[in-house]
Amino acid sequence: MSFRRKLLLVFALTVFLSVAAVGWIVSALSRRAFERASRERTMALIKQFQREFNRRGEDVVHRVDAIAASEPAAHMAVAVTRGAPDYGAYLSEAKSIADSQRLDFLEFIDGQGTIIASAHWPAKFGYKESLLNLSQPISKEAYLKREDVADGAVLGLFATRAIAIGDKSLYVIGGHRLDKDFLASLELPSGMRALLYQNFGTAFSPQLLIDPSGAVQQPDRLAPLIQKAQQQTEEPTEIIHWSSDPADDESMHAIPLRGRDGQLLGVLLVGNSQRSYVELGHRITLVALLVGGTGILLAVLLSGWTAGRVMRPVEQLALAARQVADGNWNTQVDIRSTDELGELAESFNRMTRELLEQRERLVQTERVAAWRELARRLAHELKNPLFPLQLTVENLLRARQQSPQAFEEMFQESTATLLAEIANLKTIIGRFSEFSKMPQPQLQEVNPNEIMQGVSRLFEAQLRSQRDGITCNLDLDDRVPMIAADPDLLHRAISNLVLNAMDAMPQAGTLTLRTRQDGERVRLEVSDTGSGLTPEESERLFTPYYTSKEHGTGLGLAIVQSVVSDHGGKISLESAPGRGSTFRIELPLNMDRLSAEQNHASAAKPGSFI
Amino acid sequence: MRHFALPLLAASSLVLVGLAQAARRPQYGGTLHTAIQTAPVSLDPAVLVQLDSVTSRNLSSLLFDTLVTMDDLGRIRPALALTWQGEPGSQRWQFRLRRGVAFDDGSLLTPSAVAASLRAANPTWTIYALDDSITIELNSANPSLAAELTLPKNSIVKRLPGKISGTGPFRVSDWQPGKKLVVAANEDYWRGRPFVNSAEIALGTSARDQLMLLELGKADLIEIAPEQARRTAMEGRRVSESAPLGLVALVFTHQQPSSEDQKLLDALALSIDRASIKTVLLQGEGDPAGGILPNWMTGYEFLFPTEFNMQAAQQRRAEVPYAPAWTLSYDPSDSLGRLIAERVALNVKDAGMTLRPISTGSGDLRLVRTALASPNPEVALAAVTASLGLPQPALTANNPEELYQSENALLQSHRIIPLFHLPVNYGLSTAVRNWGERRTGAWDLSDIWLATEKP
Repeated sequence: MSFRRKLLLVFALTVFLSVAAVGWIVSALSRRAFERASRERTMALIKQFQREFNRRGEDVVHRVDAIAASEPAAHMAVAVTRGAPDYGAYLSEAKSIADSQRLDFLEFIDGQGTIIASAHWPAKFGYKESLLNLSQPISKEAYLKREDVADGAVLGLFATRAIAIGDKSLYVIGGHRLDKDFLASLELPSGMRALLYQNFGTAFSPQLLIDPSGAVQQPDRLAPLIQKAQQQTEEPTEIIHWSSDPADDESMHAIPLRGRDGQLLGVLLVGNSQRSYVELGHRITLVALLVGGTGILLAVLLSGWTAGRVMRPVEQLALAARQVADGNWNTQVDIRSTDELGELAESFNRMTRELLEQRERLVQTERVAAWRELARRLAHELKNPLFPLQLTVENLLRARQQSPQAFEEMFQESTATLLAEIANLKTIIGRFSEFSKMPQPQLQEVNPNEIMQGVSRLFEAQLRSQRDGITCNLDLDDRVPMIAADPDLLHRAISNLVLNAMDAMPQAGTLTLRTRQDGERVRLEVSDTGSGLTPEESERLFTPYYTSKEHGTGLGLAIVQSVVSDHGGKISLESAPGRGSTFRIELPLNMDRLSAEQNHASAAKPGSFI
Repeated sequence: MRHFALPLLAASSLVLVGLAQAARRPQYGGTLHTAIQTAPVSLDPAVLVQLDSVTSRNLSSLLFDTLVTMDDLGRIRPALALTWQGEPGSQRWQFRLRRGVAFDDGSLLTPSAVAASLRAANPTWTIYALDDSITIELNSANPSLAAELTLPKNSIVKRLPGKISGTGPFRVSDWQPGKKLVVAANEDYWRGRPFVNSAEIALGTSARDQLMLLELGKADLIEIAPEQARRTAMEGRRVSESAPLGLVALVFTHQQPSSEDQKLLDALALSIDRASIKTVLLQGEGDPAGGILPNWMTGYEFLFPTEFNMQAAQQRRAEVPYAPAWTLSYDPSDSLGRLIAERVALNVKDAGMTLRPISTGSGDLRLVRTALASPNPEVALAAVTASLGLPQPALTANNPEELYQSENALLQSHRIIPLFHLPVNYGLSTAVRNWGERRTGAWDLSDIWLATEKP
């Protein structure tokens, strides 16, 4: 990963983490605030319910008081005290009295608990009012009670009064129904609602759940909360998930409603919609995402600008270093800052300048050394044939001076010697000339195995003619691919190595020609089982004109190295005294270079665009 | 002075007697104002028959006649038919028609018109129109054919497209379906012109509003619910009461009650405290009923039990391991029916069963209130079983024993539990004269007259 990307990543991560942290903190604070507000609203609603409940209770008490004090009630009480009241006479009276006082429930009950008349269940005359405990004192306050009606049971707020006539009493029980109208009368803030569950059994029954607006959707979801309220003494609260959308969640608070004897008669459910909180959370998330996105965009821009300012000089330095590594030592970087990067650039430029100078000096030195070596070799090579030339000419002079007859004999022999030594000189000069005029390789597809086989065939006879013979082994890998090379130059290089190997095995030995594929390169090896070379000899071996042989120009390996270098390959030596030597040539496939040269060649030919 | 006292006294007496006689003498004129709860939308007897039988008979009798009528003693009287005769086997009957009777459109009553009218009401009869008579041939013997012909559905109607005509004492002068009917006296009525000039009937008027109209003097004749009769009489108003002709009963809607159902129905019947319902809900009106037909009609109704025995009911209930919760449907517009249903449900609950009153839909049991169609017991039993969807009794002869067996079989089938027989009550203004209390509870507006001064 580049430094620019690392920088970008660091900036982006920093921004993201910052925004995420801020968003989380804001969300947490908002949630706490919302929960606090929700609690406060719930408590306010509960208080409102209590107030309304008490107000209704007082209203019921007043109305029942009014009925108890009315004349029809008094007449009824008198009739009761006389015994065997006419139920028929009061059948519709309870209903009309209840209607006039706007009560949902009204019953007149004698001292034995027998219903004289019932407004809400007229047919119940003569039955006992089972829920009235006449042994207990009559409560002055209103109370919650379950009331049986013709089509079931309902919850109501009741008050009881007694009309005493002599030693007998007539009881008046009146009440209001706790139904959806009662719930609808509660003034609820937006997002809140109240439900009433009439606890008329142990098992949850959806029909007993009252909602001001009608039937409750999915009542079973409230069953666990109601059961908790039935079993616990505290007021439980739960989040109800009405759907998969969190905005539909509702916080439900259950308040047990108890009757006079403490029995649980109902559960008031106060619901607080979570929609506004969820929407707030969504908004916070959206804002956080926007801020985060903007921050990341800014981070990208900032990192790009910073990286540009910081990294450009570094990249320039890196590029220059690569160029230097590629051999272009004449590289300078143009960084004009006064900071550390500027110092580094200045140091780099100074380094490359010094490297150039050193290289030039080295080249000079090597050139001088090479000239010296060349001069030495030339002097050495030329000295050998020149000395016989000199002797021969002196002998001819002496012979002419001393004996004309011997001169004739010596003249033929001497001229032969002169011609031979001149030919030798020509050969030596030819080799030097050849080395100086090493052609550039003409690349074509070449099979390395075929090159090796060709060289082996070339030296086959010569190898057999050696005393005790040199065995030539071909260890060629069939999987070696074709390479782009000059077959002649390559042949010559391998031949030179074979000649050297033969020279290293004057008595006998084994010459091995080997080819292998090594990734994108091909390896050609020439191994001998000669005496081997010392490390110092190995080091100087590729120096032109260096030879360990008594005879020879020392150009053979230089030619090999030149050929290998021109093909973009490299040559190495593995040798040790007494263990023979292996020359290893590694050549690239160079097929792309071949294609480029072929395309260049075809483009240069007239009519090549047809 | 002594000479003038006696003559003066005599003259005064004569005047007073004259005035009293004048008050008792029928007077022509006036409009009778009345109201009924039902709101018919057609005056065709074929449609009116769908209403309760009393209203059906009352309205039909204003505009139409039958071949014969039935008096309070159950005797068949001539009407549009002067004589009738049934051949042995009671499958073929001949009725000789009265002459000179005209429809309200002026056309004469003819045998073919009579035959056409009866064929429309009785598609299975074969009716021949002869010179001045008709012959009716039945698929099976029907000794009570004459009594059946007194039913409103067998009124003689001349039906033309968009118009129906009758031979009754009144003719339609204003007809607002479901709202108001005004009829005018038929000047050429074959029994004689009615005393009142017209009758104005407000339709679809509630019992409370009818009472209000009577109070305000805007109605001369109203219907009074049985549970209101006593109180209305106690308040000083004129109340007319018929014989117990209305039936309140529980009908089990399942066609084939199982043996367990029958036991539960027995328990149910034993658990109903009829006395309390009569005393309180019915305000003392009506009679607890054990049979479908009242005792005054059959003479044997007292043989059917009406006892309230909660212990026996509970024992009977205990014989059934599992008692399903039944529903009891009632007419939501019938407040008395609702009270009775709720009271029955309470009684049944004491017996260990569950009976839930419902006002909509069809329940396992149904509380019905129906008026018996005829004072003739065979006709009444056949009509009530047909209207309640019960098996039709197979009655072949005017035989009280056979009638008893048929009725008893119906009761033993546990498809019906009679509760009460109720009278038909009317409230009358002081102006109404010659109102005869009829057993059938039907009007006969052609005979009443309106007094113009207070008695």
